[in-house]
Amino acid sequence: MTLEMFATVALNGLTVAALYFIVAIGFSLIFGLMRTVNMAHGTLFLVGAYAGVAVFYPLYDQGFSYAWIVALAAGIAGAAVFGVLLQVTLLGWMQGQELRQTLVTIGISIIAADQLLAIFGGNSQQFFPPDALFGSVSVPLVQTGHYSTFRLFQIAVAAAVGVGLWLILHKTKLGIIVRAGVDDRAMLSACGVNVALVSVLVFAIGAALAGLAGVVGGTAQPFGQEKDVQFLLTSLVVVIVGGMGSLPGTALGALLVGMAEQFGQSLFPTYSVMFTLLLMVIVLAIRPQGLLGKRLT
Amino acid sequence: MLSVRDLRVSFGHAEILQGVSLDVGDEPFAVAGRNGMGKTTLCYAIMGMVPVQSGGVVFDGASIEGKSPTRVSRSGIAIVPQGRRVFPSLTVDEHLRLVSRGKNAAWSIERVYDTFPRLAERKGNGGSQLSGGEQQMLAISRALLLNPKLIIMDEPSEGLAPVLVDHLIEVLKKLANEKIGLLLVEQNLRVATSVASNVAIMLSGRIAATVPASQLSADEALQRRYLGVSTGSH
Ligand SMILES: Nc1ncnc2c1ncn2[C@@H]1O[C@H](COP(=O)(O)OP(=O)(O)OP(=O)(O)O)[C@@H](O)[C@H]1O
Ligand SMILES: [Mg+2]
Repeated sequence: MTLEMFATVALNGLTVAALYFIVAIGFSLIFGLMRTVNMAHGTLFLVGAYAGVAVFYPLYDQGFSYAWIVALAAGIAGAAVFGVLLQVTLLGWMQGQELRQTLVTIGISIIAADQLLAIFGGNSQQFFPPDALFGSVSVPLVQTGHYSTFRLFQIAVAAAVGVGLWLILHKTKLGIIVRAGVDDRAMLSACGVNVALVSVLVFAIGAALAGLAGVVGGTAQPFGQEKDVQFLLTSLVVVIVGGMGSLPGTALGALLVGMAEQFGQSLFPTYSVMFTLLLMVIVLAIRPQGLLGKRLT
Repeated sequence: MLSVRDLRVSFGHAEILQGVSLDVGDEPFAVAGRNGMGKTTLCYAIMGMVPVQSGGVVFDGASIEGKSPTRVSRSGIAIVPQGRRVFPSLTVDEHLRLVSRGKNAAWSIERVYDTFPRLAERKGNGGSQLSGGEQQMLAISRALLLNPKLIIMDEPSEGLAPVLVDHLIEVLKKLANEKIGLLLVEQNLRVATSVASNVAIMLSGRIAATVPASQLSADEALQRRYLGVSTGSH
């Protein structure tokens, strides 16, 4: 492998890791606080992407220059509303019944997938990035000497999400509450905190990030109906590798999974999926709680 | 202040609380009893942290059984649970900010640091880096900052060195003088009898007897019968 090729594959790995991080961090926080394995998390990605599609093309066709920004806002808002409804109408009532929540979210994801197929059809779709993020910029070392501007932007978005969440978790009262809830939900409740309300808020944030990823990811690459399962499975692997409920753990997990996937594809295209699974198996064997995860009791 | 009537709690087929009744007034009230008799379950049942099968809990004239821990806490009861249950991810200061009701409340963060200077020194340390005694101070402070009318304390002396147990007794006596109600679960009879005026003895999910503290500390036969101790501490 040449240096140019290595640099390119590494940058590709960072790009997909960025997207995986944005999706998986919501999944991880939701599990951390509520112990809910949200099997509809990939659906939130898809809901965000299609909410974006619903507003993007009509505006774009009229030549509206902020179409992408509006689509991004619609994706974030659409997924957040969907997530809040899911938590308020269904999951909140089953708090503590993990198996029931898991089955209900699988059911929701199947129903939602059919509805989205009926409304938006089976063709794959893609957003056009705004002019400022269109095309490529020169990047030293990589093959051809150029790299997609939007993919670099995707990395910047993930970094901003990571820093923003870190600041919320460590510098605000909400952050103190969320971390306490991840540690000991019942004790937090006994301190007079309305944990059910905090859960809705965390669900909204996690879902909004999945929606954000839907529009950002749907701009970098075409997306179709199959993305819900793909992003759910990737989120699962990322948090298993990095550690459930941990922000740095999810970042590390996303990075490792993204790199394993991209290097796997370029070195052994036929067996690339094995790399991701192998990574998960190794972590499970040596550190079942994930690389940076806390031991679950 | 707190009145528990015929409270029953089961886990699966095992009935752990088999109809507990007790009344806590303005004076500190202690509950003693051997391991596994259901003392912790009683604390959690009052607090809403385990589901209750039947029976009633009335606090300050309002019925609170079956309410969420959030609601019970907001009605004015705080808990210092067995094992402290401090939050490992939170620093000492973050614990206090989590529950603080502001500068003007009877208990403020400043007052906690004045009362427990050790906690001020450990401000930036995480909950899991504290010693047992420091964790206990933190758990008590966390309860105090909620400015409750009643505190439930479950075995606060457990695992503390003898000097710290003396300190604990002083702290609990001060709280009693401040008119904060106290339901104190203790296997250490010296703590129970020096703080509380009455001690209920729990046996297999029931209150077997309620005796004045002075009588319990004097009557070794009584201690042996219900508590399996002869020296007054275990
Ligand atoms: N969540 C639970 N599920 C099933 N059984 C439980 C649960 N919690 C407690 N028990 C059982 O209930 C009984 C009473 O437990 P509890 O902790 O209330 O006793 P305790 O008097 O506080 O004991 P100790 O002095 O050891 O703290 C024990 O037999 C315990 O195993
Ligand atoms: Mg106990």
